Amino acid sequence: MQPLPNFQYLEPETIHEAAKLLMDSGTQSMVISGGTDMLPSMRQGIFSPDVVISLQAIPHLRDVEWDDTEGLKIGPLATLRSLETNAEILQHFPVIAEAAHAVGSPQLREMATVGGNICLDTRCYYYNQSENWQACDQECLKLGGETCKAAPSGRAKKCFAVFSADLAPVLVALDARITLLSARGERHVDLREFYTGDGAAPHVKAPDEILTSVLVPKQMAGIFGVYQKYRIRNSIDYPIAGVALTLRLNGPDKSAKKLVKDVCLVISGVASKPLVVKKIPPLLNGKALDDALIEEAALLAKKAALPLANTGGERAHRKQMIYEFTKKAFEQAINNGSQIS
Amino acid sequence: MDQITDRTTVNGKKSRSRVLEMSINGETHEITVKPRVMLLEAIRDKIGLTGTKDGCESGTCGACTVLVDGQPTLSCISLAVENEGKDIRTVEDLADGDNLNFLQEAFLDQGGTQCGFCTPGMLMSATALLEKNPKPTRDDINKALEGNLCRCTGYNSIVDSILQASDQGVKPRLL
Repeated sequence: MQPLPNFQYLEPETIHEAAKLLMDSGTQSMVISGGTDMLPSMRQGIFSPDVVISLQAIPHLRDVEWDDTEGLKIGPLATLRSLETNAEILQHFPVIAEAAHAVGSPQLREMATVGGNICLDTRCYYYNQSENWQACDQECLKLGGETCKAAPSGRAKKCFAVFSADLAPVLVALDARITLLSARGERHVDLREFYTGDGAAPHVKAPDEILTSVLVPKQMAGIFGVYQKYRIRNSIDYPIAGVALTLRLNGPDKSAKKLVKDVCLVISGVASKPLVVKKIPPLLNGKALDDALIEEAALLAKKAALPLANTGGERAHRKQMIYEFTKKAFEQAINNGSQIS
Repeated sequence: MDQITDRTTVNGKKSRSRVLEMSINGETHEITVKPRVMLLEAIRDKIGLTGTKDGCESGTCGACTVLVDGQPTLSCISLAVENEGKDIRTVEDLADGDNLNFLQEAFLDQGGTQCGFCTPGMLMSATALLEKNPKPTRDDINKALEGNLCRCTGYNSIVDSILQASDQGVKPRLL
């Protein structure tokens, strides 16, 4: 086994101590959570931190709690497996369990965490490669090169690496808010605003900040949610197209004409961030779903998806899958309509 | 702000070796490792238990699966230092001396091993499954083994092995 480069390993016992260490040890330090993405990337030389700070010894970071006034609080170190089986999540936000279950394999879910999923680095065929592979050609933009090799023109100055998390798009659709802590202080960020859309710097977390908490607001409890994922194999792989949908259908129980409220559609695996399809709420809110409307919504989602040939699957096919999954997600919402309000 | 202890000082960027007490298959092993050493390297190279296999080294193939506190975990992407004090079980824990356990016997009966490289990982994932669910359906088994790849593609006989081991009417094959 090719050994990893050496690093210093620190285990602070409080989150403030961790933040202080992270600031003191400078830009070449990283926080490790589950390590399922970070350690393989270190093996490939993509990350080479001098200092690795583990949060394992800090109590309560794995906790998942329901708070009657605020909502669901998820600790950053909660494993994806723990979300799949958590009673509060299954009661209030089953779609979170569904999305967590769609990630990787059983072993990966046992190790991978919510914090890691939210802060996941973007991926690309030209970026996630060994140093030997990288040495054969000019450097990719994200690794310090001049242009993005994935962009068809070959001259793009923007990185098009793909954001490939499954849970994050669902949390965006649920209006989740995260807390970032550094030695400079604490701030709250709407997850929707957390992602930049730039593959080279996918989120606004500063290098000295630690994600300390995820809050899914109480008002979202009971909303219908669904996550559809497309990948090469039906396990292990990252999504090459994903659709997260949340909405409420309001109306009398027996009525077929329930009206859409609070709809949000987020697509994943086809852009450098979980992409909120902004034209969906004005199209659907306050209307009753029918085939024509669903078709229109699916076409909007397909149009918003701009996959490049830098991850598995063919581009046109992935766009088509966004269309199909959007339709399927709305159909599921209608079929579940009798159980939701 | 809490006092930063000596243990966590950032002074000197050297990566110091540590002495870890690892609990592997019920025995405590004291090993000295750098923080960069993976659990897989510790198990194979430091402790000398080579049943656990080194496959893709990127958390994809499942050949390195061990049980950490009863949960299937990928030892190739888990640092040894993170696993100190946890109860780790490897494939060597299954047999009692030369006597294979019921699951290993079932793998033999069904031809559940071909080249055998994925087998330790398969056995550990299956062990975790059977401890939680003694009578898994074929579907449950497929789900539990999703993270273990068999490049010989002998999946059916592996699933049959687990059905036989859980005493669900699958008879040993005459090989």
